[in-house]
Amino acid sequence: MKEKRVLIVDDEADVVDYLTAILQSHDYVVATAGNADEGYRLAGEKSPDLVCLDIMMPRESGLSLYVRLRQDKRLAHIPVIIISGMEKEKEFDFRDYVYNKKIPLPDKYLEKPINVDEFIRSVEQLVRTDKNPRAIRDKD
Amino acid sequence: MTRKPTIPDKYSEEWFYKELFEQVPFNIAIIDRNYDIINANSNFRQYFGPWKGRKCYSVYKGLNSPCVGCNARLAFQDGRPRVSDESGIDQHGREAHYVVHIAPIRKSESGPIEYIVEMSRDVIETKNWQMEYQILFERVPCYITVIDRNFKIVRANENFRNNFGDVLGHQCYEVYKRRNERCPDCPAAKTFKDGQVHYSQQSGIKKGGEKAHYMLTTSPLSRNVKDIAHVIEISTDITATKKLEEEMLEAERLVAVGQTVAGLAHSIKNILMGLEGGMYILTKGLDKENKQMLNHGRDMLERNLNKTTSLVRDFLDFAKGRLPVLKMTDPNFLANEIIDLYKEIARENNVNLEADIDPDIRKAPLDAEGIHTCLTNLVSNAIDACQMSDTEGGEVCIKVTENKDNLIFSVSDNGLGMDYDIKQKLFTTFFTTKGGKGTGLGLLTTKKIIKEHGGEIVVRSRKDQGSEFQMIFPRKHLLAIYEKNKNEAD
Repeated sequence: MKEKRVLIVDDEADVVDYLTAILQSHDYVVATAGNADEGYRLAGEKSPDLVCLDIMMPRESGLSLYVRLRQDKRLAHIPVIIISGMEKEKEFDFRDYVYNKKIPLPDKYLEKPINVDEFIRSVEQLVRTDKNPRAIRDKD
Repeated sequence: MTRKPTIPDKYSEEWFYKELFEQVPFNIAIIDRNYDIINANSNFRQYFGPWKGRKCYSVYKGLNSPCVGCNARLAFQDGRPRVSDESGIDQHGREAHYVVHIAPIRKSESGPIEYIVEMSRDVIETKNWQMEYQILFERVPCYITVIDRNFKIVRANENFRNNFGDVLGHQCYEVYKRRNERCPDCPAAKTFKDGQVHYSQQSGIKKGGEKAHYMLTTSPLSRNVKDIAHVIEISTDITATKKLEEEMLEAERLVAVGQTVAGLAHSIKNILMGLEGGMYILTKGLDKENKQMLNHGRDMLERNLNKTTSLVRDFLDFAKGRLPVLKMTDPNFLANEIIDLYKEIARENNVNLEADIDPDIRKAPLDAEGIHTCLTNLVSNAIDACQMSDTEGGEVCIKVTENKDNLIFSVSDNGLGMDYDIKQKLFTTFFTTKGGKGTGLGLLTTKKIIKEHGGEIVVRSRKDQGSEFQMIFPRKHLLAIYEKNKNEAD
């Protein structure tokens, strides 16, 4: 079976370590980035099956990285889970912003602190989605 | 001897005096010892009506006998002129108010008084003005009092009496504020002293015991600045406005509380995530008996517990309602203290921290603890900005200068700098560009402390070039707060 790869982009080292530990214990191969630039570069280099993305990051925000990913033809298909401590109102602002730019909404929002079971369920689901050509191949 | 006017040749003297008698803007009547009017001018006729063959008391007042205390009789007796205020009836039977000047007429300088000339002038208009003024004074929707040099109320209008009671003869401070002595900074005293109008906002207690807020104007009741006998105090009640203002502030406060709670929740969520992560890794470490994971988990727990501590500390700093306690402090000492505190941290982050201090800076009244917090926030921000920047060789400089009687602390760096968007959000609650590292409270707390010192914060920044934060304290504001603190302490 082909390895399943997840890219985590978050400036909080503890969050990165936490998500990495969860994913590794479920046999995912994890790449991590502490800022948007690095995240964008790794998304191109590592071809992850899923990106877990934080919103509030210094310098370039997760929102901006999300837009960049979706506008890049090579990367637009990768499912994205937004994992953020944002309040609901800000989350709706985020949705409006994305919607107005005619960019598909993120595949899932998870609020910090996460529920481990829900997180893993969401990851499994998205990695195996039909949108992800490699996931279909794996199923076969 | 009285000089006679020069009369042009073509007119006779008799004609001239007759004209004068008729044209002069007074009602003139000449009466004899029997109160008979023997002559009167046309103004008199127009005002009082027919007079020929009538007694003066009949024409002036419609009486059948001479007036009590008749001034004409007195003038016949002692030969002295007189002026009096009189009321009578005009030719249409309406009430008439007029001023009468009375002068005796003799045929020769030492001869007996044969006639009295009475020159009167209508003052009904003045009376009306007086009445209108009285209504205005009584009914105007302001509190009006007139006080004398002993601060005793000598007049008070209806509105004032209704709200503060019948207060004539009482001291103004007693009535307005229920004090036993004159108020400090009394605006009326200033007006007595300089003759100028003074404005102030005051609060007092009405007769029913309820609090009143009012805007007070004190003006001199005399045009002569040197000798002001009375001051008029006019105030507009702003209690209702004040209440609205308070309600609005309360509403704004609630919004701010909402924003604060939301921001706090965000920070707490991140910390919780770290704590849960620590627990997760620790548990996995125990399951797998993996020492490295155990250590990792413990470190995460420790780190996030520390974050909780600093969040609580920052939040309390921000929420602290205390007013600054100003003491004469050496500004350079405060700056050097921060240099000592941060020198090591800066070096660990490859940042060169320097002080540029003017040794001649005078002491200033400052809240040392507050300024320490401000400088700590600015310097740690500056070090972070250098660290987050791509450029090598971070430089942070604390400067203490004096300019036009302003004491200025400035903290500059050659770090990341800020674009317009970030500058706009700088002083918003929980706004941070440091991701999970910042609480988003530092600059807000800094601004709050500076404002409490009567100062302001100025930010100059260019993206990728660096930033400069200036805390500007006008010395006169510092002194005023210092004096106020001292007075309150006394």
